[in-house]
Amino acid sequence: MKISSNTLRTFTTLHTWVGLVAGFALFVAFYAGAITIFHHDLQAWQSPHGIHATSQSLDDAQRLLDETLARHPEARKHVGMVFPGDEYPITATYWSDANGKWHYATTDRPEGLDEMPGGALSELVNALHYSLGIPVAGTYLMGIVSLLYGLALISGVVIHLPKLVEDLFALRPGRNLKRMWQDAHNVIGVLSLPMHIMFAVTGAMLCLVMIAMLALNPLIYRNQLMTAVGPAMDTAPVIAPAGREQAIGSLAMWRERSIAIAREQGIEAFEPAYLKLANAGDANATVEITGESSGALGPLGSIAMNANTGEKIATQLPGGRDANHATLSSAYALHFGEYGNAWVQWLYFVLGLGGAFLFYSGNLLWIEARRKRRQAEQGRAQLWMARATVGVCIGVCVAISVAFIATQLLQLPALSGIALGFGVNVACFTAWALCALWAALRPPIRAAHELLWAASITTALIPFAHGIVTGAWWWTSAAAGHWALFAIDAGAIAMAVGFAWLARVTARRMRSGEANSVWALAPVAVTARVEAPQP
Amino acid sequence: MWARAFAGIVPGFLLSAGLVGLFTWALPGPWQGTIVAGVIAFFIVWMAVMAASFQFANGKRAWAWLSALAAISLGALWLLQWLRWIG
Repeated sequence: MKISSNTLRTFTTLHTWVGLVAGFALFVAFYAGAITIFHHDLQAWQSPHGIHATSQSLDDAQRLLDETLARHPEARKHVGMVFPGDEYPITATYWSDANGKWHYATTDRPEGLDEMPGGALSELVNALHYSLGIPVAGTYLMGIVSLLYGLALISGVVIHLPKLVEDLFALRPGRNLKRMWQDAHNVIGVLSLPMHIMFAVTGAMLCLVMIAMLALNPLIYRNQLMTAVGPAMDTAPVIAPAGREQAIGSLAMWRERSIAIAREQGIEAFEPAYLKLANAGDANATVEITGESSGALGPLGSIAMNANTGEKIATQLPGGRDANHATLSSAYALHFGEYGNAWVQWLYFVLGLGGAFLFYSGNLLWIEARRKRRQAEQGRAQLWMARATVGVCIGVCVAISVAFIATQLLQLPALSGIALGFGVNVACFTAWALCALWAALRPPIRAAHELLWAASITTALIPFAHGIVTGAWWWTSAAAGHWALFAIDAGAIAMAVGFAWLARVTARRMRSGEANSVWALAPVAVTARVEAPQP
Repeated sequence: MWARAFAGIVPGFLLSAGLVGLFTWALPGPWQGTIVAGVIAFFIVWMAVMAASFQFANGKRAWAWLSALAAISLGALWLLQWLRWIG
């Protein structure tokens, strides 16, 4: 395909600058996001009970619901709850008080908590993914990053378009290292392009939906959007309380009824995941059950029924729902990889790591394109770019592994004085800051080599911390059939091997790589040799 | 470069809103049925418009064209909404 040189030049500049601005944040988002794919498995992994953790029963959940409604009158108006099961081993209720503040309760803590219990590590990794761990503003920042990411994708494809087909499977190793990095960057970018486009769009949507709706409301929705959204997105219309008292039905009845209603609509396997109960104790109490149906792209569907009688009010199930619910359910499922089976999650994990590589290699290409080939001394911008790339990108890999280890160690009785969430966050961000500082002080190639070893060692320690603290060594997990726990420990070992391999490759480059580069070991010595022949 | 970038961000935003509005409101059925699809489509269209705005020869042209197109699309949307020909 022929593209004018003017267009190519403009889009190359655009690609370079949006890549520079968004690349670091995207590396963190993709590395943390690849791990967040296993969000639910992580919650089991960080549980102190190890392989002895058992899913709670529906009876446990019923007791919690009864107690929540009895103890907290605010919850009778509106309360949410997760069904105990594979997704959430421990059930919990949640409701908001008159001030809009959320409260949570579990069977261990029926009096109520201010934050969702038991998710310190998975919440931290998730927060790094969608906000870099920055409260409030971080989400909007990542929304803007998603838009820049979209521009980087469009401009990247345009630049590459003239050679896209002929170079697709070309990976040319050899003396021209820039050629090889460019080939790797292009092939991963092109092959995972559909996934990247999907993430750029759904990422922007998830982060900026409120702002976009506020801005679009007067422009295209005649200021009626905010009143229309509720009725459009609710499964059933809101029903006012009747003012007559009536005892509510049981969780077991709701579960049975929702499965039966789904079957009536041709859905063979409906697995209730969570519920929303409104006006408990009233004759018009309603319950909305959300659950997964296998074999649908947007697997989450919902069923609304009278909470006392189980009479069906409305449904939004795969195969029979309106455009809003079908689109939103699919967009969510596509972003979070929550469709298909476990293979889809592993595919997302691999594509996520591939995405992280894309942004890392982009930074390397920026440095390489500006390399001064005939002198040892390189520009300051290139030097600091190398330091920032090493410190931020390899640093976050170390920091996340440190957070995994800290999560286990802080559950030791000896360290129980430190609040888990606080301790894990401090460990993570301190490790990240130290890595960045290290990269700022050392020659870039040494910093890369050392931090890769740090990443390898900390990642390799993850299964040991897990085994020592909870007794769930990977072989006992496997023998007990807890494949999620086994997969996280085994995955950590595989990642540690990967980091060690990268560290060895980096060491080879340190010994025998191009001397005139920011990645050269000792520019001082080379400078001296170049200056020597002066008369 | 910057002038064209901002042309894509400001009038480009209004143009994208106008295009998405025209399309989602012109579809059969009530407009409330396309809220989610419209918001998602908006981000796709806006990204495309921002990228396309770099194709203008200079910033002044980009601002002029995108502003004019934004005014036309939003004007058409509001007129059709006011006439109740779409909705």
